[in-house]
Amino acid sequence: MEKQTEVSGIIFKIKRFSVHDGPGIRTSVFLKGCPLNCIWCHSPEGITSDISIWYNQNICIACEKCVQVCPNSALELIKSDEPFIQIARNLCKSTGDCVRICPTNAMQFTGSVAKISEIIIEIEKDLAYYRTSGGGVTLTGGEPLYQPDFSAGILEECKKRKIHTAIETSLYCDREVLKRISENIDLFIIDMKIFDPDQHKYYTGKSNESIKDNFQYIAKSGKDILVRIPLINKITDTELNKKAIIGYVHKLNEKIPVEFINYNPLAENNYKKLGIPFLLK
Amino acid sequence: MSIQKLITTDRIVSLRKKTLTATRYLSIEQAKIITRVYQKNEGIPVILKRAKALAQSLAEIQIVIDPEEIIVGNRTADIRAGVVLPEAGLNWLKNEIDTLPTRSQDPFQIRPEDSLYFKEKIEPYWRGKTLEDDIYRSYGEEIEAIAKVVKINQKDHAQGHIIPKVEDWLRFGPAGLLTITKKKLAECSEDKRDFYESVIITLLASCNFINRYGILAADMANDQSAGILKKNLEEVAVVCNRLSECPPSTFREAAQAVWFLFVILHMESNASSFSPGRMDQYLYPFYKEDLKSGRINQEIAIEILGALFIKFNHIVYLRNAHSAKYFAGFPIGFNVAIGGQNKNGEDATNELSYLLLKAQDHIRLPQPNLTARLHKNSPDEFINECSRVIGIGTGMPQIVNDDSIIPALESAGISHVDAINYGLVGCVELSTQGNLLGWSDAAMFNLVKVLELTLNNGKCMISGKQMGPDSGCLSDYADFSHLEKAYESQIDYFIGKMILSCEAVEKVHQKHLPSPFLSAVIDDCLKIGIDVTAGGAKYNLSGIQSIQVANVADCLAVIKKLIFDDKSLEKQDLLDALQNNFSGNEPLRQMCINHVPKYGNDIAWVDDLGAKWVTYFALKLDEYKNYRGGKYHMGLYTVSAHVPMGQNVGASPDGRLAQTPLADGGVSPMTGRDKLGPTAVLNSASRVPSNLASNGTLLNMKFLPSFFSNEYDRGKFTSLLKTFITLPIHHVQFNVVTSEELIKAKADPDSYRGLTIRVAGYTAYFTELARDLQDEIIKRTTHGETD
Repeated sequence: MEKQTEVSGIIFKIKRFSVHDGPGIRTSVFLKGCPLNCIWCHSPEGITSDISIWYNQNICIACEKCVQVCPNSALELIKSDEPFIQIARNLCKSTGDCVRICPTNAMQFTGSVAKISEIIIEIEKDLAYYRTSGGGVTLTGGEPLYQPDFSAGILEECKKRKIHTAIETSLYCDREVLKRISENIDLFIIDMKIFDPDQHKYYTGKSNESIKDNFQYIAKSGKDILVRIPLINKITDTELNKKAIIGYVHKLNEKIPVEFINYNPLAENNYKKLGIPFLLK
Repeated sequence: MSIQKLITTDRIVSLRKKTLTATRYLSIEQAKIITRVYQKNEGIPVILKRAKALAQSLAEIQIVIDPEEIIVGNRTADIRAGVVLPEAGLNWLKNEIDTLPTRSQDPFQIRPEDSLYFKEKIEPYWRGKTLEDDIYRSYGEEIEAIAKVVKINQKDHAQGHIIPKVEDWLRFGPAGLLTITKKKLAECSEDKRDFYESVIITLLASCNFINRYGILAADMANDQSAGILKKNLEEVAVVCNRLSECPPSTFREAAQAVWFLFVILHMESNASSFSPGRMDQYLYPFYKEDLKSGRINQEIAIEILGALFIKFNHIVYLRNAHSAKYFAGFPIGFNVAIGGQNKNGEDATNELSYLLLKAQDHIRLPQPNLTARLHKNSPDEFINECSRVIGIGTGMPQIVNDDSIIPALESAGISHVDAINYGLVGCVELSTQGNLLGWSDAAMFNLVKVLELTLNNGKCMISGKQMGPDSGCLSDYADFSHLEKAYESQIDYFIGKMILSCEAVEKVHQKHLPSPFLSAVIDDCLKIGIDVTAGGAKYNLSGIQSIQVANVADCLAVIKKLIFDDKSLEKQDLLDALQNNFSGNEPLRQMCINHVPKYGNDIAWVDDLGAKWVTYFALKLDEYKNYRGGKYHMGLYTVSAHVPMGQNVGASPDGRLAQTPLADGGVSPMTGRDKLGPTAVLNSASRVPSNLASNGTLLNMKFLPSFFSNEYDRGKFTSLLKTFITLPIHHVQFNVVTSEELIKAKADPDSYRGLTIRVAGYTAYFTELARDLQDEIIKRTTHGETD
């Protein structure tokens, strides 16, 4: 007998009682993996599609259990006033032995594989709150459009349940993906970072031509749209850039709201946990 | 609605300030009077002694009126004086009288002559004669033997925790009730004579007491110094004169009458939690009538309510040093309920409901304890206004859920008509109005301690003392069901002991503290001629608190998963660690905390473990009848007793260290263990059988003030409240966190893991923020509070 395998994807967080990513009380699902590589990225653990290990020194009790179980000798306790575990990234194979043994959960996987049905189970836990608040589900990331089958599947299941859906995206994707997915989306929250194409490429790794194309397509589609500009000092947070984006958006449709998002001060600690340099500093 | 724009008058600001700055004294004036009356009347029945003592106090006690007051009356000359009624018990005061002015929590000054009089004249007379002495004599050893597991309450003071029938008090006044009682006396059998005569004595004295205020106000008004306050004093005189003879006919008179009722109740029985109940309902006819006739407008009404709110802070409850630490700030439980439904199940929210919310916004003092009754047809505007006032940060109004509570009360044997008219007493205790002696704080039963004994051969892990039967220890239990069987037998054992103690306490209360005045305002005491303490109320319940569902669930989840399911932990290893308070084994403790899911995170199997045992407990209680012939029923609240209750419990499998606090509230998760936000907490709490907790439940939640700073965010909070109404949870209260709290969270992140805050365009867990950012937010919050 043939059984269709259920689509699964990679996520790095599910946040309930999410109240700032769309109307009402929502559940935000963070999908891992992003085609852009913004140097300021708020959630660096969401950029890559692989699952690796990260480490939170703040809650580590330096018991060394992880060091003892690592089959690849990738871990070492550095003794100091504030002792910490050093991960030799070249040796680490992400076996997860350290994750399973760590008593405080200081060692964690950066993400997990989940089936659509598993995501839906989490989403359904707060159905009552969506109903009274006019809330629902927001897919965010990472870049949710980077896992199109997974995102499309989740959104389709949400719509079957009459749950309001939102997506937070850069719109960096194939038009076909966008077309397919937009059917089941009620609200697009679009992160517009930099207007100038060269600057965009410099800071995010990709040009914004396809983003603009896709934006024009969505702006005409009649979907609810909210544009957000993350304020990164001297990069996006310039009068020139803000004016250019707002002008561009409102030329297409002046009813589209544009809001600014302050920089997330938590980000730096996330880089530290991943053991990668924080370029913005 | 224009109520939004009402402002606090200068007079209210001034009265409020005087309340806060008054020096608190111990007053022994009434104790002197009571002692004298008892000495003179040694041969007569106790109920008559009590009546005469109250009557004499009402006639003699020094009365004071502040010329600015709109609502007058107090049981002492000083504002917020501490009072002790000798017939209930004096032992603690005998030991603590000299340290009362210097104790760290809630000190009271004492005048030297009072201290001397107490030591030489009052205390020696009462030695061996009080309720407390009698309880210790007759059942003290048994109560002491179970004290670490079950705390038996009301051993040295009168039982309050009751809502009088304010409606009747307003309808008849003391004079009207007097007429009714006289008629009953004329036709009663011999055995009821003492009761009715006692009631008559107290009602007559009440009329006189109120009249004394009328006379004093008139004298003050006639005095040269009255100045611009002459008119107010004249009005006070008119109001009091009328109320001494007839029931109130205006809004101001009704508010004044309500306050006199509570002053007199407190003079009869110095007890906690005489609660006014549904004030927006019984005052509404007066309000409406006065508005129609033009006697008042909203400005005048809010000033009267403000004055009444201030009055609720003038009577404080003096506790011993130990108790004061855990009930800091002398909470006295003037619980006022607003909103809710009428007897036909229609929404009962009215203009007064909004005015009382506004009064809370204006006064912002600890009393009254304001409670909003919500249900599926509560108006949006009312829920929004509740959200706004909650956002101020006084923790009020607390929210209760009609749709969960009314069926629970019905299953405790309350009729639908009485259940739908419920109010709250004290903190969160559920009660009908004017016909229930709920004895809602009869005892607190520590299920976590019983679990400790179950794991340790019935022996206390702190002292090593044998406390319960030896049902084996953790290492002896072959599987989880064996452990559960042993837990059952330990619970049964202590419930049996507890019931006997509760009966002993009630019996002595009946003997020492019959309460004729209270009986006059509780149905059916007057009708059947039986005192309220002897079972004269229409409903007679006893409330037992089951403590604490979160810890029980978390502890059992650890044992079930790590030991019996995963077999990743040896029984003996856990037992050793518990006996040694996890000393030298922090990794194991962390594993207990982090490797097993916890109550409060919407994990059904964990929540159900807690639910199972409180269900067992409630059904077991149901097998017993109390001394008045009523039912025992369960409460799930500790208020702040989770701290002392925790001190009795050794290290627990949930990773809690010995003698540290248990989970707070009642159905709240263990502090710091809920990590998925408020919806997950509410979903977990929904699995606790609140329908079996007809004595009340308590859920604490914390939010930051910034959540209420704009309408958009507040709207989301309002939605959360609306969802709450659809869940089977009785109660929730919101702690809008202040900067002080954040400073504590920074120093002790483990206890504040679930605290979420608004950082920039998003919400984050406070304890996960970098320290400098925490400081920044602390500063920001402080800033937010100064406006």
